[in-house]
Amino acid sequence: MRRSHHSRRAFLQASLAGVGFLAMPQPLRAVGLRKNVTALAFDGDALLVAGETLLRSNDGGASWASEPASDAGQILALATHPDRPGRVIAGLARGGVAVSDDGGRNWERVSGGLPDKAVIAIAVAAVRPDMVYATVRGDGLWQSEDAGRSWRFVMDRPWLADAERDPMALASVDLATGMGGIWIYAGTEVGLTRVPDCFCRWQDVQPGGAMDALASGAAPPSEAPLPTGEPIHALASAPSAPETLYAALPSGVWTSRDGGVVWSHLADGFASAVAVHPANPDHIIAALDGGLKQSRDGGITWSALATI
Amino acid sequence: MKRKATVLFGAAVAGLVAIAALAQQQGSEARAEGLTFLGEPVTADEIALGQELYAANCASCHGANLEGQPDWKRRLDTGRMPAPPHDESGHTWHHSDQDLFTITKLGVGGVVPGYESDMPAFEGVLTDEEIRAVLAYIKSTWPARQRAFQAEITANDEGGT
Repeated sequence: MRRSHHSRRAFLQASLAGVGFLAMPQPLRAVGLRKNVTALAFDGDALLVAGETLLRSNDGGASWASEPASDAGQILALATHPDRPGRVIAGLARGGVAVSDDGGRNWERVSGGLPDKAVIAIAVAAVRPDMVYATVRGDGLWQSEDAGRSWRFVMDRPWLADAERDPMALASVDLATGMGGIWIYAGTEVGLTRVPDCFCRWQDVQPGGAMDALASGAAPPSEAPLPTGEPIHALASAPSAPETLYAALPSGVWTSRDGGVVWSHLADGFASAVAVHPANPDHIIAALDGGLKQSRDGGITWSALATI
Repeated sequence: MKRKATVLFGAAVAGLVAIAALAQQQGSEARAEGLTFLGEPVTADEIALGQELYAANCASCHGANLEGQPDWKRRLDTGRMPAPPHDESGHTWHHSDQDLFTITKLGVGGVVPGYESDMPAFEGVLTDEEIRAVLAYIKSTWPARQRAFQAEITANDEGGT
């Protein structure tokens, strides 16, 4: 086990050094990469790891290949959809998005109306695979109905703790809003919020029946929110069980099984990204303290995938 | 001849008066086709009243033509959001009749607890009937697609409570 683990790491480092860091002659340092895992995604069963470059594994993390991500530069966000295998949409630090329809091999860089600022979060609408949402840093929420080719501004940033906050993480959550659509959850530097996909207003996650309890004077439903004041680096809603959410925070990986009302802590460590398998809501990958970890039981037990 | 003409003229006037009265009656009580509010049919009179009340109470923020405040998707310096349009370019038609009524009567906090908004609560300013009339007027301006969408949301909302 140890040996194969090392060989995986060697391969990974060779891939990174060979493709992603051609212009950087200094030796690859694990500590330097640690903070650079900016996004994770599943493309079917394949794993995608984004940072300075894009890595793809088609064998559950045993081996990795570096994809060029065109000349896009640093990727800050990734999104895929179970109904569009091979399509990967990446949010770029230099502005705009890049779209691949072959799992990350070839890319088309598009900006289609987006301002020339970093795209820090991307989500594909759960029930409309060609509808994409993106956060433009310092600007707000944008929407594309043609898989990222053209964009329109739909919503300003949420106002939390007396200031506008960038949605650093986005997840389309297939739970009904009562307004003819579903929710878009957003993680900010100070916590969680959400907006209906008709974009009427950002609002806290409320337990079902909270308004009824308020009206009747009954005890409010129990809540256990994410830790106050911590940034949320990534959010994921399981496509096959949308009320199951995962979040990556500096305090670790957290999960909710009820659409974000009650959260529990799954794993310690600085979590910079998390993703959930399209068909198995208990299969997750997370970037934890610079390493890639995987769980197939909803975060009860974890195994290391690679040390990157 | 002269008397016959007078009679004919009188009959014609009486007929016109009768037609005018009928038209007026239809105008006041006729139902606006297919339009309901909280399950009750809306009348043309209500829509007319609603239009007047909208102009007096709502248009200063939401626009004389329901167009909303300029750049309404961008937050104001106060941190609050501008008044959105009520026509099909906005999101009003994504809300059920009950939610629209509650937001108008109690303010946005009536549906989203703690939400800070420049929208006042109209309880004590407008009666329930007047709020209903304003919302009926707004609904009457929507194209068929938006009306149908909102009718379904209202039906689901009523079914769920």
